[in-house]
Amino acid sequence: MVSPVESNSVPSGRVMIRPMAQDRGSIPARVTMPASGGDGGATPQVRYPIIDAIRRGEAVESRTHESVKLEDHVLQIRQFCLWYGAAQALHSIDMPVARGRVTALIGPSGCGKSTLLRSVNRLNDLIDGVHVKGEMILNGRPVYAHDVDVIDLRKRMGMVFQKPNPFPMSIYENVVYPLRIDGENRRSVLDAACERSLKAAAIWDEVKDRLSQSALGLSGGQQQRLCIARAIVADPEVLLLDEPCSALDPVATLRIEDLIHEISERYTVLIVTHNMQQAARVSDYTAFMYLGRLVEYGSTADIFQRPTLEETEDYVSGRFG
Amino acid sequence: MSVSRPSSTDRSEPSPAPVVISTRRTPLSARGEPAVWLLGLALCLCVTLVVALMSVIVREGLRTFWPRPIELVTLVGGEKLLGVPMQDESFDAADGEADAIESRRGASGLTEGAFGDDGRPTRRLYRVGNRDVGQEPFRWVTLANVVSIERPAAAVMLERQEWGVWIGVPRSIYRQEHIKVPASAGELQAAGVIDTESGSRGVERTLLGTESDGTRVVRQRTGLMGAPKDGVSFPSREAWALLDSLHEEATDRAARIKAIEKDDIGAINHDMESWRLRVRKAEMERDRAAADAGGTLGGALALPAWIGGLTVVLALAGLVVVLSRRTDHRTSLMRMVRPALLVVAGLVAAWCVLESPWSHRRVTDADVEIVKAQADAALGELQASYDKALGRIDELRTLDEQFRVEVVDARGRFAPVRQTAPDEPLMLSQIVRVVRPNDLNFAGKLGVYFSRWAEFLGGDPRDTNTAGGVFPVLFGTVSLTLLLSLLVVPMGVVAALYLREYAKQGLVTSVVRIAVNNLAGVPSIVYGVFGLGFFCYTMGQYIDQGPAAPALRFDWWLTLGGGALATIVAVCVAIMAKPMPGTPVRGVHRVMAFVAGACWLLAAGLGAAAVFRTPYFHGFFAERAPNPVFGTRGLLWASITLALMTLPVVIVATEEAIASVPRSMREGSYGCGASKWQTIRRIVLPGAMPGIMTGMILAMARGAGEVAPLMLVGAVKLAPDLPISASAPFVHLERSFMHLGFHIYDLGFQSPDSEAARPLVWTTTLLLIAVVATLNVAAIWLRGSLRSRMKTGVF
Repeated sequence: MVSPVESNSVPSGRVMIRPMAQDRGSIPARVTMPASGGDGGATPQVRYPIIDAIRRGEAVESRTHESVKLEDHVLQIRQFCLWYGAAQALHSIDMPVARGRVTALIGPSGCGKSTLLRSVNRLNDLIDGVHVKGEMILNGRPVYAHDVDVIDLRKRMGMVFQKPNPFPMSIYENVVYPLRIDGENRRSVLDAACERSLKAAAIWDEVKDRLSQSALGLSGGQQQRLCIARAIVADPEVLLLDEPCSALDPVATLRIEDLIHEISERYTVLIVTHNMQQAARVSDYTAFMYLGRLVEYGSTADIFQRPTLEETEDYVSGRFG
Repeated sequence: MSVSRPSSTDRSEPSPAPVVISTRRTPLSARGEPAVWLLGLALCLCVTLVVALMSVIVREGLRTFWPRPIELVTLVGGEKLLGVPMQDESFDAADGEADAIESRRGASGLTEGAFGDDGRPTRRLYRVGNRDVGQEPFRWVTLANVVSIERPAAAVMLERQEWGVWIGVPRSIYRQEHIKVPASAGELQAAGVIDTESGSRGVERTLLGTESDGTRVVRQRTGLMGAPKDGVSFPSREAWALLDSLHEEATDRAARIKAIEKDDIGAINHDMESWRLRVRKAEMERDRAAADAGGTLGGALALPAWIGGLTVVLALAGLVVVLSRRTDHRTSLMRMVRPALLVVAGLVAAWCVLESPWSHRRVTDADVEIVKAQADAALGELQASYDKALGRIDELRTLDEQFRVEVVDARGRFAPVRQTAPDEPLMLSQIVRVVRPNDLNFAGKLGVYFSRWAEFLGGDPRDTNTAGGVFPVLFGTVSLTLLLSLLVVPMGVVAALYLREYAKQGLVTSVVRIAVNNLAGVPSIVYGVFGLGFFCYTMGQYIDQGPAAPALRFDWWLTLGGGALATIVAVCVAIMAKPMPGTPVRGVHRVMAFVAGACWLLAAGLGAAAVFRTPYFHGFFAERAPNPVFGTRGLLWASITLALMTLPVVIVATEEAIASVPRSMREGSYGCGASKWQTIRRIVLPGAMPGIMTGMILAMARGAGEVAPLMLVGAVKLAPDLPISASAPFVHLERSFMHLGFHIYDLGFQSPDSEAARPLVWTTTLLLIAVVATLNVAAIWLRGSLRSRMKTGVF
């Protein structure tokens, strides 16, 4: 298997448009400036050459660990760029995603991790003015090509959003929605699928007596697990989780994390999170992104304990970002 | 220790700052008290106005049918009158009258309340009825001139089929027959007494004439209780019972006559008419066949051209089959080839069917003769049954004319059978209801009250709409409103969906939105004029007679082909104009989108031209010409006009409702692999349904109360035939109808006795409000149940 990141041809020479995200980014002054001498004098003056380069809009080479390259890849992202109108949000992302593992995308707000996730099932197509360059290959079939049936492509993936978004229908209808729109109306099949995926989402015991009641009556955590059940009912090739716990309380968050653990035995999971502890707890691989670029990508243990870059180490330990 | 404030480090004073207790008070204006009072006052004013309006309507509307007493008033000069008091008012007497009135002040036996508290004289409005003997049906009586007021127990108010009410005292009931007395019978006795099983009866005979053989034609009147003249002593239990039972019989007979006229004779007429139309249709087809100059191409070319067309169809079909075997179409444009070929093949196939040398079966003279023979046979039979029905009616009428009642007013005149025959008393069957308010207890009055309500709600109007029921009016209003909401909701929802979900938001959509909002402000009469001109006269006449100026066949096929071509080009260009997801929109895409739009417009224009100039359609009701069926005012066109008028309301409400469906729901649906249409159908539309229902409620409320456009496109003064009937095709949307709003206008301003109709105006208004409220409540309930099904226990 050829790993795309080995190619040295980092796109350069191109005048990069300043990403909008930069204005929003909350990067402490001391990233680029020598730390003021007042407090915490023990910290040596640090400069982050890669971060600086990214902030100047220069192309950088992302560090992808060998451990990632050795895996079997369900999704290949190659040289992927994305523009919202004139503003570029993703810059030449090269990133293979390992099959049957949990891969976490971390990075400060506005770094493009959600955009990358939503590019995988082409949800960004719905936004006016988005255009892309580069390649994504899901199980050997391209995601961005002329003859791709987008509807079918999305059916091959499940997605869970930041805010629980159950439909205003019964719990049962919520879960079987992906099957219904596929034209499946046999009651026995739907019943079986509903039970299976509710059990897989660890919510079966709580809702099995009220399947015909509105899903909007559930608590936030239950709603999010219901959304996970909905996302996995059609046996997706990849499960995309977009900060699934950001709207939940700590207890519900823990339950969802346990759930992700269980689900990862069967599905490939790509999860966006801004919570470093969560990434460390649930994921096998972690990718650190900054301002639309992939900075470092490797196994979670490596990223959190032995990162090759100073920037990554400081980010995961909370010293910047 | 005193309360310490959080001190900052740069403050160095050791002593804490003195605690300052603020003595300021928030001014009244800041607290907003006056504003609250003002707002409350405004609300109170609105509520008071609404409550006042509603209570007046309800009070007046509900008391219309309550039987009021009849008073026998004796005036100073000795004149007497019988009437129903309607209202009292103070007035300033005219100079000539004032002295006479003033002289009565303090006179003995003066009526109570003859002078008001302010000393001004009072007058009272009496409904005296009896319009057909040349009397004003309402009369103001100055109370000061009244000597006595009595309430005779025998006084009755007859509600009649015609000429309004008659107020009087019944004198006698008798049976009037015309008998022939042979010459041999001897001297004719002008009066006498005969004995029957139920007692002796007075008889009165009048010689009307003598025939050539000496037989005398005699009018004989037999009293049904006592003598024909002054025979019955009202009020007595037996007298009322006799009157009631005879009246009931007469009403039954009248109902039977009406049933025969309406059902039997109506059906016979309908059948006769349909036979005549069948003959006429056959003749028209024969004439058309004679005038037809052959196919699109000349006679000699017809067969080869037809075979050629068939070959093309087969070739195209083969090509489609071959293409469908190959599934690896690279672009969406390639996928369009098959449908395009199918369209072309379908067009040529249609030509082959319509223009095949054998497609026109020519109607010949012989065919027409056959139809004519059938029609003659059928008409003969129908004529026989028609005569039979007429015979039955005559029989009943003769019986009907025998039963007469004399009800005399205060001046001794009795109610005539018709205005031109003042010496012939009223037939019992002409009376709808006998009300004797002075001789009724509360239960009896209640009975009259509800029987009047029942007639009002369930009966047909009579006496030029000033009396009787409003059932056809009610039916017309409700069916119009339901039909309009059935039409407007799909139209509005479809338009709003495209505008909000599919159309690219830009200049064009903004212009469309502004135009739609402006449509809501167009005066409704303008819609009426448009509906009359476009729907009734253009569309309706097209349905009736076919196109006014049909195109030549060759031209028509050219138009149709051009339309199909434009459609195919439009679809293909539209597909090409759509940039690949992930690539930016370029100028060429915009140009192609414009071209596609232009092609769509062209296709629509050519299609409309093809429909309106087709030489193959000759109208559904051509044989009825020049009588219009759909080509005139009717329920269908009225509903469509009102639907058009209320469309903006629905579009705006639906757009807002669609926009309010949260983005997260849509994304969730897309994320599950739903297409745009599936998302709209399963997530957006159900979510927007309450909003759509709100639009429908507003549209219904506006449509139900509209009058002006209806006067132009369908509502009429009298249309007793409902739009639904038992005869095929059961639903007659082409019929004109009655409408409560128009009926109110008609009652109040167009009736011959508007004073008498005034109470009915109140009642009809109450009914209209009740209808609109009922429809709205039903829709609101529906919306509520939808909402609760969608959202339960959100919190």
